[in-house]
Amino acid sequence: MASMLEFRTPGFNPYAVKYSPYYDSRLAVATSANYGIVGNGRLFVLGLGPAGIQAEKAFDTNDALYDLAWSEINENQLVVACGDGSLKLFDLATGDFPVMNFAEHKREAFSVCWNPIAKDSFLSSSWDGTIKIWSPSRPTSLKTLPVGNCTYSAAFSPTNPAIISCGPTLPLLSTGQTFAGAVPSEILTHDWNKYRDTVVATGGVDRVVRTFDIRNPAGGPVGVLLGHEYAVRRLAWSPHASDVLASASYDMTVRVWSDASSAPQPQPNTIPVGNQLGVMNRHSEFATGVDWCLFGTGGWLASAGWDQRVLVWDAHTLLRG
Amino acid sequence: MGAIDRLSQLGSQITGGASAGGKAKLLEKNPDDIVVTAALRTAICKGGKGSFKDTYAADLMAGALKGIIERSNINPALVEDIVVGTVLAPGGGATEMRAASLVAGFPDSTAVRTLNRQCSSGLQACVDIANQIRAGMIEVGIGAGVESMSTQYGPGAVSEFSELLESHPEAANCKVPMGVLSEKMAKDRNITRASQDSFAASSFQKAVKAQAAGLFKEEIHPLKVKFEDPKSGETKEIVVDRDDGIRDGVTAESLGKIRAAFAKDGSIHAGNASQVSDGAAAVLMMKRSTAEKLGQPILGKFVAASIVGVPPLLMGVGPWKAIPKVFELTGITKDDVDIYEINEAFASQCLWCANELGLPQERINPKGGAIAFGHPLGCTGARQVSTLLYELRRTGKKVGLTSMCVGTGMGMAAVWVAE
Repeated sequence: MASMLEFRTPGFNPYAVKYSPYYDSRLAVATSANYGIVGNGRLFVLGLGPAGIQAEKAFDTNDALYDLAWSEINENQLVVACGDGSLKLFDLATGDFPVMNFAEHKREAFSVCWNPIAKDSFLSSSWDGTIKIWSPSRPTSLKTLPVGNCTYSAAFSPTNPAIISCGPTLPLLSTGQTFAGAVPSEILTHDWNKYRDTVVATGGVDRVVRTFDIRNPAGGPVGVLLGHEYAVRRLAWSPHASDVLASASYDMTVRVWSDASSAPQPQPNTIPVGNQLGVMNRHSEFATGVDWCLFGTGGWLASAGWDQRVLVWDAHTLLRG
Repeated sequence: MGAIDRLSQLGSQITGGASAGGKAKLLEKNPDDIVVTAALRTAICKGGKGSFKDTYAADLMAGALKGIIERSNINPALVEDIVVGTVLAPGGGATEMRAASLVAGFPDSTAVRTLNRQCSSGLQACVDIANQIRAGMIEVGIGAGVESMSTQYGPGAVSEFSELLESHPEAANCKVPMGVLSEKMAKDRNITRASQDSFAASSFQKAVKAQAAGLFKEEIHPLKVKFEDPKSGETKEIVVDRDDGIRDGVTAESLGKIRAAFAKDGSIHAGNASQVSDGAAAVLMMKRSTAEKLGQPILGKFVAASIVGVPPLLMGVGPWKAIPKVFELTGITKDDVDIYEINEAFASQCLWCANELGLPQERINPKGGAIAFGHPLGCTGARQVSTLLYELRRTGKKVGLTSMCVGTGMGMAAVWVAE
């Protein structure tokens, strides 16, 4: 673990980190003062250069920031999920204030996801128990999906613009499909596989990462990944390999896994267990964010944690053997 | 949302469990819950001729406050503020209620104020106390309400409207008498005389049954008062421990014979509207952590309240608008509520709101309502708290809601959980 770039966010605890889908050298971090309990938020946009990581821009908000998503149609724009329930669209090219403010959620907005296919929409989920779908150009939501429970995580399918998935107690699709006997406790995060368009990974309070195939909702998980010692806070499938995913956890580690999909046919009636490829244990507080760089040779990750640090590193340095 | 909510929500991401929504979240017990450790009311007696006809509002309040001290055994010096909802008192009753608290045994260090939000004053008083506790302004407080309609009900209750107010049509509507506007609303909304009479009769029948079974015993604090016998003219001391407006043998048919009071072809009459009454009620509130520290028994907790405005001429629809709003604030639905205490200002409006919201009849006012035992204006909102919490406890149920329409066009609702 020799080469690792570091950026500090003094006074602010990161909740999410995301690479720009346009530049290999740009990433954004959503942070909150006082661990997001009370106080301001700050959105950092960071540039990677020969001198390490530099802050290109910072936007301040009145309340904590819990998540962010880059726009898929405008390289300068990104949207954040705010503790006051609002979503704010910032533009790197204009001033210090959001270009749009979307205020409908009644409680903390906790996740945002830009639609990667129908690029003129994004969604948000909130502790108010709803998911809302928005257009970046309209101040009011296009649609509200009542989930009923506090939703920590919601996402569009990367291959079908119409499919939305969400937590918190069971993976659930907007088609109304739920997964039988799937997860015994709250889901805090999930992500769609970038290659296999029916595979979703979930992580949450019970520390186990599970993969599901939406074609077989009654069949239970198709794989489990065991190792985290506390709740799993963030998952990200690799954009470079169909079986690789990264997870960030309250146990302060970020882990890289291979799910069991490439293993030989499993025994009947057993759930395949995936392999942990490596552990990144350089965060000294809860690890809350992890994301893969879309560009280059593959394997570059950014992670963020409540230790007020953003770390950029190459997963290859973790791999055993 | 507050920092404590956030902290417990984020904490639950590690430990699991506490992030439940809806009803499950309502039933959680947290140290910063605002809990009720004592709630009581006086009997409610008929205005003008009932047992409290010679008792001043302040005396009723002093009696109820004394009852709270006796029942809870709280050190009165710990009570930092008392809010009394009262509607008809000249000068807002501020002076008398301060005096009443001293009579009841509170030290001069206990602050007192009154407020007037018409028929929801008693509830507003409880909500104000809860909010003061939540905000950290006080630790222990009493929300209360009182009305002596015998001594203070009359034409003087509203002062003359200025030309300015009279010239504004919607403003001028604010002083249309409630019977008149409710009559119009009943007609417009097609609430039949028969349905009102049957609703009212069932209120009487439920109250008769509840009274016979002694279900009001727990909530009523008996008062010893002076009473002038109208026949002999002799003044004697009596102990009042039961509602004297509850009449046995009332049926929809018997109510059907009464002449309408506000319009010749109208549907509202004395039998299907709330009674003019006297009474007082009080609710002792504090944080759960404080209650545990003081060893106070917890009857239930206050969750949230809503306030809405509606057109003055449609004041009766208040609960219809306030109840969904409090559901939104608490994240529950109408099916999560075990008992509704909705004030029966008029059978017409209570019935209309319940039907419009699709609330199940059997969960509304199980011990009867204001039609059967009266609506002492400022008292009602605080009275509902003890009626509700004791009934929830008795039946082993949990979630309750109190609501009422408010004169001049408002509605209030609050969610409570019994423990």
